Amino acid sequence: MLPMTRRRVLLTAGAATAALAAAGCDGGDDSATTEDLSGNRTGAMPDFKAGTQFTATTPLTFSILYSNHADYPLNKDWLFWKELTKRTNVTLTTVAVPRSDYEQKRSLLIGAGDAPTIIPKTYRDQEIPFVSSGAILAVSDYLDLMPNFTTKIAKWNLGADLDTIRRTDGKFYVLPGVHEEVWTDYSVAMRTDVLDKLREPVPRTWDDVHDALAAMKSAYPATIPFSDRFGIPTPGGCLLSVISAAYNTAAGWDYQNAYWRPAQKKFVFTGAMDEYRNMLQFLNTLVRAGLMDREGFTQEDDAAIQKLATEKSFAICANAQSIVNDYRPALAKTHPEAKVAKIPQPAGPAGNVRRGGRLENGVMISSKARQSKDFVAMMQFIDWLWYSDEGEEFARWGVPGVTYTKTPAGEYRYLNGLDGTLPLQQKYGFFNGVFAYGGSTQLLESMFSEEEKEFQKAVNAKTTLPLAPPHPLTDEEQERATLWETPLKDFVAAASLQFILGQRDFAQWDAYLQELETKNMSAYIDLINEAYQRYAKDHG
Amino acid sequence: MVTVRTRSWSRPRSIADAERGRVFPVVNAVLLSIVVLVTVYPFATIVARSFSGEGEIRSGQVSVIPRGFNLTTYKLVMSDATFWVNYRNTVVYTVTATVVAMVLTTCYAYVLSKKNLKGRGALIGIAVFTMFFTGGLIPNYVLVTSLGLKNSVWAIALPNAINVFNLLVMKAFFESLPGDLEEAAAVDGLSTYGILLRIVLPLSKAVIATMVLFYSVTFWNSWFSAFLYMDRVDLFPVTVYLRNLIAGAATATSVGSSKDSLAQTAANIQAVTMVLTVLPIMLVYPFIQRYFVSGVMLGAVKG
Amino acid sequence: MSAPVTSDPPAAAPEAGQALARAARPAPVRRRTWRQAFRRDWQLYSLAVLPLVFFVVFRYLPMAGNVIAFRRFQPGGSIFGDQWVGLRYVRLFLHDPTFWKVFGNTLTLGVLSLLVCFPLPIVLALLLNEMRRRRLKRFVQSVSYLPHFLSIVVVAGFILQITAVDGTVNQVLKGLGHAPITFIQQPEWFRAIYVSSEAWQTVGWGSILYLAALTTIDSDLYEAARIDGASRWRQTWHVTLPGIRPTMITLLILNIGTFMAVGFEKILLIYNPLTYPTADVISTYVYRMGVVSNSFSYAAAIGLFEAIIGLVLVFTANQISRRAVGTSLW
Repeated sequence: MLPMTRRRVLLTAGAATAALAAAGCDGGDDSATTEDLSGNRTGAMPDFKAGTQFTATTPLTFSILYSNHADYPLNKDWLFWKELTKRTNVTLTTVAVPRSDYEQKRSLLIGAGDAPTIIPKTYRDQEIPFVSSGAILAVSDYLDLMPNFTTKIAKWNLGADLDTIRRTDGKFYVLPGVHEEVWTDYSVAMRTDVLDKLREPVPRTWDDVHDALAAMKSAYPATIPFSDRFGIPTPGGCLLSVISAAYNTAAGWDYQNAYWRPAQKKFVFTGAMDEYRNMLQFLNTLVRAGLMDREGFTQEDDAAIQKLATEKSFAICANAQSIVNDYRPALAKTHPEAKVAKIPQPAGPAGNVRRGGRLENGVMISSKARQSKDFVAMMQFIDWLWYSDEGEEFARWGVPGVTYTKTPAGEYRYLNGLDGTLPLQQKYGFFNGVFAYGGSTQLLESMFSEEEKEFQKAVNAKTTLPLAPPHPLTDEEQERATLWETPLKDFVAAASLQFILGQRDFAQWDAYLQELETKNMSAYIDLINEAYQRYAKDHG
Repeated sequence: MVTVRTRSWSRPRSIADAERGRVFPVVNAVLLSIVVLVTVYPFATIVARSFSGEGEIRSGQVSVIPRGFNLTTYKLVMSDATFWVNYRNTVVYTVTATVVAMVLTTCYAYVLSKKNLKGRGALIGIAVFTMFFTGGLIPNYVLVTSLGLKNSVWAIALPNAINVFNLLVMKAFFESLPGDLEEAAAVDGLSTYGILLRIVLPLSKAVIATMVLFYSVTFWNSWFSAFLYMDRVDLFPVTVYLRNLIAGAATATSVGSSKDSLAQTAANIQAVTMVLTVLPIMLVYPFIQRYFVSGVMLGAVKG
Repeated sequence: MSAPVTSDPPAAAPEAGQALARAARPAPVRRRTWRQAFRRDWQLYSLAVLPLVFFVVFRYLPMAGNVIAFRRFQPGGSIFGDQWVGLRYVRLFLHDPTFWKVFGNTLTLGVLSLLVCFPLPIVLALLLNEMRRRRLKRFVQSVSYLPHFLSIVVVAGFILQITAVDGTVNQVLKGLGHAPITFIQQPEWFRAIYVSSEAWQTVGWGSILYLAALTTIDSDLYEAARIDGASRWRQTWHVTLPGIRPTMITLLILNIGTFMAVGFEKILLIYNPLTYPTADVISTYVYRMGVVSNSFSYAAAIGLFEAIIGLVLVFTANQISRRAVGTSLW
C-alpha cells in the first residue's frame, strides 16, 4: 500500500519534470520522487539521459513474464538476447507463458505474489484489479528515472492520452506503449476487381458500401457479398467496431457501456444511444437485403475465409496482415485473377472520422521491485529498451549489418536473406510483440508495404474522435460496477445481434431500453459520471 | 454380417433364442456400424486436412479425402526441436504421473473395499468430499510453489494423484471380487500386502488396465497443471504446445489492437500436430486392450 | 467371452450375480474399539496413509482458501483475503437475476446430459458384448474411444462446422427441401447441439467401465441360464444387467453428484450472446463475471454454493440407492 497513502510534494528539479510541465500534463501530479532511492542504485547509470545508451555498471538480471507466441516460439539462442546483454549488461530471465492463456497466468502469479518483476503485454484497464492491493507499482511516481519516456510524452503531446489511464489517486500503473500518431489497422476489405468489373467506385461511405454490395448481389445473386470474420468471442467484433466509429458510438471490440459526449460533458449509456440504434438499423437493412451474411457475426475465421476464397462473398473485415497472409493466398489457389484490398474505413453520419488512441498495451512492474537494490537501473533499462529511439529500433529491426541496413535516405532493408517479419522473429527474435510496439510513425511505417502506407495516408486524413476523459472508480465502486457491467454488456451484445438479424423488431426498442433499466443502466451511468466529476475536481 | 450369424449358431440355445438370433446380430452390426461411421467422420477430416494443401483446405475442398496431398507440414512440425522436447516431456510426465496415481489409487481403493473396516465411512467421506469442495487456483498454486514442486514433474504427478471418480470405480470392482480367496490366503498366513499383491491384483487386471488407460489419457491430454507450474518452454508438454497453436490462432486477432497479430497459424499445422499428439495413444491402446482380453479369460476360468 | 469353462456344478447360479453385487456385506459382528481395529487391520490402515497424506496436503489444505467467499480478496493481497465481509458475496449472487437464470440453464443442461449420456454407454457395452466376432468387436471398441482423445477446442470446431449454414446438417435439410437453419445462433437449438456432442464424445469411453465390469460376470451363470432355457434377452436381463449393477449405480450416483459441473470449456467455445438464454451456465457466467475481471471472492462464493448442491445431490442419490437397490457408494 506504500505508494498510495503517501502524499507527494512537488519538486521542480529535473529536466524530466520540466518537460512534463511544458507538455501541459493537466491530470497528473507526476513528479520527481521524494523517496530515498540511494539504496537502490546498484548498476544504475548516474547520468542516464534521453538518447544515452543504457549499460548497467554491473551485470544485472531481471525476471520478466514472457508471452510466448506460437508463430515464433521463445528461443534462448536468439540474437536478441545476446545483443541485449551486450548492449545493456542486463540478462532477462523469462517466465514463459503460452500467449493463449497469458492473462490467466498473469493474474494467478500476481494473485499468488509470485510474479516476475517486469510484466509486459498489459492491455488497457487490465491492471485495475491489481491496483488496490498494492501488488503493482505506481509507475507514474518514478517517471524521473525514465528520461526517454518523459521526452516522448512531451514531444508527442501525450499528456491527455496518459490521463485516460490514471486511477482515482491520479497515478497510473502501466507504462503504456506510445505512438506518435493514431494508428488504425482494421477496416473492410473488398474484391476490388469485382468492383472494377461492375464499374463501382471504391466505397467512401457506408452508403457507398451498401450500393457496392447491392451491385455485387444483383450481378451474382447466389452470393451474400459481405461475410465477416473476427466474430469470436465478440460477435461482429471487428465490423461493429469499424462501423460504430462512423456513427460516433462504440460497438464490437470497442464496446464500453459508457460513451463520452463532449458537448454535454457527460457519459451516456452506449447501447441506448440514438446513434447506436441507427447503426443497428443500417446493418439490419444489409442483412434483410441479403447483402450481409447472418453467420458472419458468429462464424469461425476459417469459414469466412473459405467463403471469400470460393466467391460466396466479396467483402470481409481485415487488417494489413490478414490481407497478405490469409485472403490473397486463399484466393490465389481458387481465383488467381482476384484482387482484394483494404479500403479506408468508410465515413458515416458522424463524418469522415476514426477512433483511436495513441497508447498501446504496456508494462506493469511488481511493487516488490521497488525494494530491490537495482531498482533504479531496472527503470532505466525499461526506459531504454521500450522508449528510447535506439531501443525501439533495436527491438524492431535488430542489429545493423546483421539483420538490416539503413539507406542514406533512412529506409530500412533486410539483410541475410530475410524477406519479412516472420523470419526476423523466428530466427533472431526481433520484432517480438513483447518488446516491439509503438514508436515514431517513421519507425512504424518502416515495415509497411507501399500499399499499407497508401492506406495509412488516406486514414490519417480523417478526424479523430475525442478521447473520453478519465473516470476512475474507487475499489468499492469498481466492485459494484463489475457486477453490473457484465450483464449489461452481454445483454446489449445479444440484443444488438437480434436487432441486426431481424429477430427483434425495432418497434421494440423502448422495451429494450426498459430491460436495460432493470439491469441498472442508469445507476451505472450515474456512477461513471460521478467518478468523472470527482476526478475532474480532484485532479483537474 | 453373415459370418457373424453363423458364428453365433455354434452355441447351444433354445428355439426362441434361435429365432431372435437371426435378426439380432444383423441389427447389432448395423447399429455398431453407425456408431463407427459417426465417430470416424470428424477424424477422417482431420487426417485428410493434415495431408492436404493449405489452399485446398481454405477453399473448402477437403472433407475426408486429402486434396493437394503433401507432407510439408509434417516435415515442418517434426523438424521443430521444441515439439520433440515437449513430446518427450509428455511421455515422461504421463508415465510418472500414472505410476504414482495407480499406486495411491489402488492402495486406497483396496482399503475402502473392506466393508467391515472401522472408520471406512470416514475414509470414503474424506475422498468424496473433495469431489465437490476444492481449493481455488491461487491457494493451489501457492501450495505447489511453497513445496518447491514448481518446474518439476512432481507438480503434475502429485496434486492429481487420486481421481476420486477412478477411486470409487476401482473400489466397486474390488468389492465385487469374491472374498473367499482372500480369506483362504489369510488363513494360509499371507499378510494384507501379500494378499493385495498376489491375490487381488492378479484378479484385477481388467480394472487395472482400465485405470491405467484412464489416468494415462488424462495425463497425456492435460495441459492446465503444466501451464500453471512450468515456467520454461523446455518443460512444457506437447499439449501446451498444441493449445498455444490452436487457441493462439483463434485469439490472435480478437485483441484487435496490437500489431503482433501476425500470420494466422495454418489450418493444417493444427491438424498435423493433432494427429501426432493423438497417434501414440492410438498405438499404445491395442496393447492395453490385450489385458482386457486376458482379464476376460481369467475371470472366465476362475469361475 | 465364451472361453471354454471347466464348469463343475452350476450351483445356485441365478442368485450368484446378486451376491456378487452386494459382495461381502456381513452383518457387523460387534462394535470393535479403535485399538482392536488397529491391532487387527493395521496393515490395511498403513495402506491408507499415503493417500490420506495426499488428500490432506493437496485437497484439504488449499480448501482453506475458500474463506475468501466471506472475506474480500484483492489480487496480490493476502491469499486468505484482507477483511471479513460476511455473506456479502452470497447476497450479491442470490439477488442477481442473471445468476438464477444461469442456474436454471445449468440444471436443464445437466439433467438432459444425464438422461442421454448415462444410459447410452450401457447400451453400447451390451451391444459390444453381444458381438461375437472378437476382431470386429475390438475394432468398434477402439473406434468408439477416439473422441475422448480429442481436445475440446477441436470438438468445438467440429460442432461449428457441422451445424454451419453450409454444413453437413443443413445439407441434409436442404435435400429434404427445408430452408437452412443457423443452428449456432438459435437458443432453442443449443441444448440439442450440446447434448448430442456430449454423447458423441463420451459414449465409447463410458462403455469401457461397463465392459470391464462385464468381464467379472461368472460365465457359469450364462451357462446355467441357457440350460434353464433363457433367451438371450432374458440372459441380458437376469444375468448381465445385475452383474454390472454396482458399476451402474456407482456411475449414476457420481454423475448425479457432478451434473452441475457441465462442460465449461466446450460451452465457452460454442456459445455466443445470441444463445446465452439457454447456453449460459453457472461456470461460464462466473468466468465472465469473476475470473475475467479477477473477482475471485464472488467466484468463490458461487463455487461454494455449487459444491453444497453437488454434495446434497450425491448424498441423496446414495441414500435412495442404498434403500432401493442395496448398492451404494459408501
